[in-house]
Amino acid sequence: MTALDPTTASLESATPQSVARARRLKLRLDGVTAGAAIAAIICAAPAFAVLVLALWPSDNAAAFGGALLRDGAVGTLLLVVFGGGGAIALGAIAAWLVAACAFPGRRLLAWLLVLPLAAPSYVLAYAYAGMTWAGGASPVALTGIPGAAFVYAVGLYPYVYLAASAAFARRSSSAIEAARTLGAKPLDVFWRAALPLARPAIAAGGALALMEIAADYGAAHHFGLTTLSTAVFRAWYAHGEPQAALQIASALLAAALVLLWIERSARGRASYAGGLTRAHDTGRYALSPVAGIAAASFCTGLVVFGAALPLAWLARLALLHGQVEDILEPLGNSILLAMGGAAVTLVFATIIAVVARRAGAIGRIGAYAAGLGYAAPGAVIALGALALFGLARDAGWISGLSAALALTALVWAYAARFAAAGVQPIDAGLTRLSKGIDAAARTLGANAWRRLARIDAPIAAPSLAAAGLILFVEILKELPATLILRPFDFDTLAVRAYAYASDERLLEAAAPALLIFVAGLLPMLLLTRGVLKSAR
Amino acid sequence: MQPNDAQVVNVYSARHYDADRRLYAAFEDATGVAVRVLPANAEQLLERLRVEGDATEADLIVAADAGNLWRMKEAGLLRNTTTPALEQGVPARLRDPNGAYWGFSKRARVIIYRKDAVQPEEVASFDDLARPRFRSQIVARSSTNVYQLSMLAARIERLGPDNARAWASGVRANFARDPRGNDTDQIKAVAAGEAQATLCNHYYFFRLMRSEDGADREAVSKVGLILPDQAGAGTHVNISGAGVATHAKRPERAVQLLEYLVSDAAQALLAPLNDEFPIRPGVPAAPELAALGAFKEEEVALDALGRRQAEAARIYEEAGWR
Repeated sequence: MTALDPTTASLESATPQSVARARRLKLRLDGVTAGAAIAAIICAAPAFAVLVLALWPSDNAAAFGGALLRDGAVGTLLLVVFGGGGAIALGAIAAWLVAACAFPGRRLLAWLLVLPLAAPSYVLAYAYAGMTWAGGASPVALTGIPGAAFVYAVGLYPYVYLAASAAFARRSSSAIEAARTLGAKPLDVFWRAALPLARPAIAAGGALALMEIAADYGAAHHFGLTTLSTAVFRAWYAHGEPQAALQIASALLAAALVLLWIERSARGRASYAGGLTRAHDTGRYALSPVAGIAAASFCTGLVVFGAALPLAWLARLALLHGQVEDILEPLGNSILLAMGGAAVTLVFATIIAVVARRAGAIGRIGAYAAGLGYAAPGAVIALGALALFGLARDAGWISGLSAALALTALVWAYAARFAAAGVQPIDAGLTRLSKGIDAAARTLGANAWRRLARIDAPIAAPSLAAAGLILFVEILKELPATLILRPFDFDTLAVRAYAYASDERLLEAAAPALLIFVAGLLPMLLLTRGVLKSAR
Repeated sequence: MQPNDAQVVNVYSARHYDADRRLYAAFEDATGVAVRVLPANAEQLLERLRVEGDATEADLIVAADAGNLWRMKEAGLLRNTTTPALEQGVPARLRDPNGAYWGFSKRARVIIYRKDAVQPEEVASFDDLARPRFRSQIVARSSTNVYQLSMLAARIERLGPDNARAWASGVRANFARDPRGNDTDQIKAVAAGEAQATLCNHYYFFRLMRSEDGADREAVSKVGLILPDQAGAGTHVNISGAGVATHAKRPERAVQLLEYLVSDAAQALLAPLNDEFPIRPGVPAAPELAALGAFKEEEVALDALGRRQAEAARIYEEAGWR
């Protein structure tokens, strides 16, 4: 998040005429917009396939779907409210403390706070179950909705922390400066100036956390909860009714739409492009010793519960087991798939995000559509992608899903599932791009691709890197689509961990699970470095 | 080095045991035919196979639980195959009558009880778990689990849906807490005193006995294992099995591997590796299993486990056992 040339800000004061011209131009379909439309269609297709298939009439689906749907909706709502609300609160507070206050260990904690993102929710759930349920060391068992909400909150707050850190890093915006100059207390500045200014970023990070919770199957299932996601698999696996499963899954997709809409509304209409000029850093609040220790303990607590404790537990199991069987190949496969999948998804996400900002209605619809898949379980998106290949087969275009096509379907499923995780950070980065710049460039005759290359991409560059790293880690952790669409003799770390865990061999599962985390560590640290650098 | 195409057999497997990998390796050593495996879960493999159609590379399909195999068969993904070696190797009750799938190992659903709270004769039957004696003393896993479904499907087949409903409601009324976790979690809960009894697949108990974690070994020392219904219908038994894919490109290789899986050599190899029961009486089981002695197995047509699975899921839901 590079400092912008001060001249950019002056473009804010574009004349009414130029704005009007920009509006007219928006309707023109240029190459980039067409590219974005294609990218959005590709990313949205599996989710839409699920919606369409769900409408197909079926005999048995309605018979039991109703009660499951209702209870699942209640479960998902509770988890989203408590788990997601917790993640948003924890992430926002941690980001503010790190960005605006001085306390012992701040520099180190700023890095460590991002770590939980490298641990998949299902691994955290297994770890907390192992630590706190029968036979564990803890006197309190983490169970039910509160238990799962805790796991989500401590595991997913980094989405909000990362987004909010980037926003607070630009806290030199005039409103905060003014508040400070007027002698407002840190808490007041947080509530009345910083928080409203960081709202778009918090909303973006929060939306990701909430959708991640809605989509999660592994943790909710292990905790024995009825959510929309677990209901999908109950209908599919226990009742043998993939049709009913798709109907329940379409409720999840609807929930994704609502979340994305809330996120857009939370951003409000303000472009927040103003105040980009970087004033001198006025320094951090010096906290009293007690407050400083409280701040340090709060941040340390997050790192301990979100990463250190569960990882230590896994490490203990891995050591007890003592041997690690041929783990290098799955590690290599994981990294290969995550890099390939992230690269493809990033290209789609970038073009969708840029056009969403630039081209009005078409772009926004595209961003919504492409974002749907993030709230659906990976297995459902994989099912959607499979269904599309099934249609192609029925139409005679392909003779069937060959191994190469299955791999294509896998990368497609990644793009469909995770496009939102790429679009959100890029979009947040582009909030700093005033529409005036684009209009000015158009007026100067730059075509769409040139503007993408010369204006959008450089401005979004830091967030592109951030998006790429997030996508890498997401795909590294991904299980269900990889499980079903991968080639022969091709295990990833997540697949290996799942194979052992599903066979209830937790000691053997510990090492691959731990390695998922380790492999995600480097990208996470790079990501943090980018964010912190912008904060300096 | 890519093995000659004729020297390969492709397996879609819903079992992801290390034991299976060793079996395949032994097959490779014995025959020179390389085994390529895609382990994933059964329901998703089924959807993938459906879409693959005749473009599939799968030759042999392996799954744990007869219910899953039945679904594969119903979806037209398995072809009927019969050879003398298979007929000799697999008892008639543990295979599909038309040869769509063949069992190669057995697992029993057993009762685990806490030794300091329960007398073995109090849990001699699955029916006992539904008695008021165990009010608030039973833990169980989610009914989505296929072992749990197959067990109730067998009961529906034997005694009718009303009996099954009454049993599920009775056990549900005895729950000490809502279902959560896997079979191993239930054993640990009983050992920790959260409940007095539970039900699980037999091999999880034996695995905990050998766990590298001392806490696991201590937990399992507090509980006992019962093969239920020995005085009645017999203990519920399920299979792991395999069938030749309808669109197999190398059906003869698939049959070769299938025959190997039920051969004396493979059965002897599998027994100590995975704590499962061999598919036929003649093969010696692992010592700890042999110590249980011969036992009476529930006699239910295997395909009933699949046919009645959806009904079982509905009954569990009506009973509030989720």
